[in-house]
Amino acid sequence: MLSDKAKKEIEEIHGRYHSRRSATMAAMQIVQAEGGHLTEADMREIAEIVGVNPVQVQEVGAFYSMYNVERPVGKYHVQVCRNISCSLLGAEHIIETLEKKLNIKTGETTTDKLFTLTTAECLGSCGTAPMMQINDDYYEDLTDAKVGEIIGKLK
Amino acid sequence: MPKVKINDKEVEVKDGTLILDAAKEAGYIVPTFCYQADLSSLGSCRMCLVEIKGQRKLQPACITPVLDDMSVETNNETVSSARSAMLEFLLSNHAFDCPVCDKAGECELQDMVHKHGPHKGRHAEPKHSFHNKDYALNAVIVKNSNRCVQCQRCVRVCEEVVGRGVLGSIGRGHIQEETSFLRTYLDCDHDGMCIEVCPVGCFMRRPYRFKARPWDLKSTKTVCPYCATGCRMTIQERDGEVVRSIAMPEDGFNGKMMCARGRFGYDFLNSKGRLTTPLIKNKDGVHEPISWDKAIDIIKTRFARTAPEKIGAVASARLTNEALYLMQKLMRDVVGSGNIDSSSRWNHSVVEGFVQATEIPKGGTSIYDAMDSDAIFVLGTHVSDENPVTDYVIRNLAAANRKSVFVATPRAMKLDSSAQMVFRYKPGRLAAMLGAIVGKFQETRGDKLSSVKGLSPTLSKDLEELSKASGISLDDIATLVTRLNISEKITLMAGTELLRGGDGIKGLGLLRDTLRALGKEVLVMPILDRSNQRGAWDMGINPVFGPGYAPVEGKWKGTEEMLEAALDGDFDVLYVLGEDIQSMFPDRSFATMALSKLDFLVVQAAYMNETAKMADLILPGGSFAEKHGNYTNQEGRVQAITKLMEPPGDGKTDLDIIWLIGSALDSSFGPNLPREVFKEIQSKVDMYSEVEPTGFISADTGEEPVYKFDFKEALVGSGSVELLDVEAKDAEIKIGTDGDHPFMLLTGNHLFHSGVMSMQSELLKGLLGKPIIEMSALDAKELDMNIGDLVTVRGNGFEADFVLRIKEGTPRGVIFMPENYQEIAVNKFYERKTGIPGVNVTAQRG
Repeated sequence: MLSDKAKKEIEEIHGRYHSRRSATMAAMQIVQAEGGHLTEADMREIAEIVGVNPVQVQEVGAFYSMYNVERPVGKYHVQVCRNISCSLLGAEHIIETLEKKLNIKTGETTTDKLFTLTTAECLGSCGTAPMMQINDDYYEDLTDAKVGEIIGKLK
Repeated sequence: MPKVKINDKEVEVKDGTLILDAAKEAGYIVPTFCYQADLSSLGSCRMCLVEIKGQRKLQPACITPVLDDMSVETNNETVSSARSAMLEFLLSNHAFDCPVCDKAGECELQDMVHKHGPHKGRHAEPKHSFHNKDYALNAVIVKNSNRCVQCQRCVRVCEEVVGRGVLGSIGRGHIQEETSFLRTYLDCDHDGMCIEVCPVGCFMRRPYRFKARPWDLKSTKTVCPYCATGCRMTIQERDGEVVRSIAMPEDGFNGKMMCARGRFGYDFLNSKGRLTTPLIKNKDGVHEPISWDKAIDIIKTRFARTAPEKIGAVASARLTNEALYLMQKLMRDVVGSGNIDSSSRWNHSVVEGFVQATEIPKGGTSIYDAMDSDAIFVLGTHVSDENPVTDYVIRNLAAANRKSVFVATPRAMKLDSSAQMVFRYKPGRLAAMLGAIVGKFQETRGDKLSSVKGLSPTLSKDLEELSKASGISLDDIATLVTRLNISEKITLMAGTELLRGGDGIKGLGLLRDTLRALGKEVLVMPILDRSNQRGAWDMGINPVFGPGYAPVEGKWKGTEEMLEAALDGDFDVLYVLGEDIQSMFPDRSFATMALSKLDFLVVQAAYMNETAKMADLILPGGSFAEKHGNYTNQEGRVQAITKLMEPPGDGKTDLDIIWLIGSALDSSFGPNLPREVFKEIQSKVDMYSEVEPTGFISADTGEEPVYKFDFKEALVGSGSVELLDVEAKDAEIKIGTDGDHPFMLLTGNHLFHSGVMSMQSELLKGLLGKPIIEMSALDAKELDMNIGDLVTVRGNGFEADFVLRIKEGTPRGVIFMPENYQEIAVNKFYERKTGIPGVNVTAQRG
């Protein structure tokens, strides 16, 4: 069930779009901000509110990497870019380091629900590769030491 | 018009033509996956890349329109190697399980690789696997995403043609999967459009799974026997069992479109319940087999010793034109009786008015011409449920060509979402709504309407009253009138709601003439729910008109009058062909009483039915797959059905049986071969004299004609007979609601069914599930009921249990009940002369 607050917020943003369905992405963002990820029930409810089929909400959710569809994430969602530039400059190594540091495999969440580690396609910051995104922030020009420092600060 | 050079050939094409189509015109086929003519463009598969001189990169032919002086290469080395590379990419993640794939042998990917290579791949990376085992999406779809080429035809067809949009493209790149929401089971239209358009073995037919290879199948081209949309299709059998029916995009007007009934309802042909031998009722009332000779002899004796006016026949609107023509010839010319009718559901006088209002005798109208109007006004037909493919055509073309659609029906339907305006008039009050529309025209442009026959000069004075009676506000009427005023060409599509009680028939004629008087081009298209309903009328299966709508002499009876006379002991012999009067006549107890009073009841049917159970003599007739002949669909398009197999056991085709009876009574009865009977029809019935039925092998040439899409030569012509001289009247529909029975009961075909014939299909029966009724959310709330509750419906001294469904858009005070159930005779809620019965609904509390 969506919270009343989320419902109210979605109702408010409708005015910004010329058709109801255009609010799909914004509505998903509002809901995800509350629960960290989107559940089946969330998507069904959003679909009903914006007047589309649930599968169309899932389509959007699956297309953009910032939505976590049916995938609970920890407090910090670490997404490491593994596209060409980052890979050439050692993204694989960065991922390995993170796996070791957090003691989880890619795609998993730490037992204390603090960190979730995933990989992402190009995040558009090739000039500062290798890089990663934690929640809404970019961490660039990564090295082993830098990764250790960042994670240490968050723990 | 731009001139383009395709390879070495120059063609001139219309502005905005795609390179793909221009190339086709020049005689070059560009291979495609994601392109499909009636769907929105995507340009994602890159199979159709071509080289345009002067452009550095190859361009997709399926989304690039031509420009003047363009020079395109579709087959040079650059293009070929790009094609091969594209296929290599598609195959890099393909399952390569052709030996166990149902699609093998008719797979577009297989064919494409065979033709364009590569024959060896270079990708050594592990393949992405979506799942280990195929999964079912519903009772008819089974899915294997590992074979998908991500063309998204399924997603687009579901949204743009079917209007459901329950499939989506989940994910990106090589992990994109076209499937349902979280792969959950789908409660959709089950029409299998996604299967039909799938180029590979990703969406597959569940009932056909592992049944056959395409080259094992014996096929015949035919027409779907369910509704009067008349989709062309191919049915295919293996070892005497029909295993699938597929659309014929190359020849049918329906392209790849078919609905659940057409695509999955073929299995009634394999039903175990077929009648295989003539049966006579013995002294104990038990049916026992007799020989054909004896059966024909008994009929001959009965017919000979009964006065002609006490003999009658009721024929199903699913028989072929040939059988129907021969049937009326037998009755009129040999027996001497004009007591003939083609339906037990509606009164023949309503039919006569309807035929006149829809101008059927003026000849056929292609649905594509009808859709080429500025406004399409769909009234009194729940086309989404009764004629699903007509609904697809309207939705798809109206959206693609930006046409205005207006819908006026008493209950909600899927097409509502494609309509600019929806008018939910009160059940039985279409006449009032049409009166208000015409009245509004009269108010604003009355000076132009003096030529409109039958128009009351003071109709505009009653506007308020009419609007109130119909439940449609004056504002809405005014908006519609404004919209119609700015349209040049208007199509009116009218259907079974008008036929059920005669509501709105006169109004339809008035609206038609009013619009014409205002200088508009108006087409009227009947929307009918039995495959050969229009053919049956064309062949004169009616007590008032003969073949070609020629008036007949004498006063004869239709179904209802025959039953009335029988009840009075004044009618003796009834010959019923393929119709189930007991199940379909809108007053069950009256029908049962009347039929039991008959002296002699002969029923000719493919399956045992409720009427046959009462018959003195039962004759086993053939199904549509066992005979040659023609159907005339609602457009007036004559299309051939061809024989796939022999009737089971001792069964005969309907045509043969009628002929046997006819020649027993009169040795010069005439021909019995379908094509010769058709020749006779062409010589006797003006409307048919020039027709070239789609797929029909003519008696003269013995050759199958070459046809093309939307083949206009198959449309019936305009007869020499003027419109029937009957006064179309709007019947005053009696509504049987009262304090104890507050709900108006509406009935009609369920989306998966058509009459009771479709109940012989195990598959369709399975889709129907438990008997349901539909109600509005507000009524349910007031009665404290929820979706899925078991409820009891009572009325007319009858009661039955249903599962409750809530349908958005259903007006308050109305419930809908499909008329197709075998276990619940819906017509028991009906009492003759009451158009819309009143019922009450109570929850069963456990």
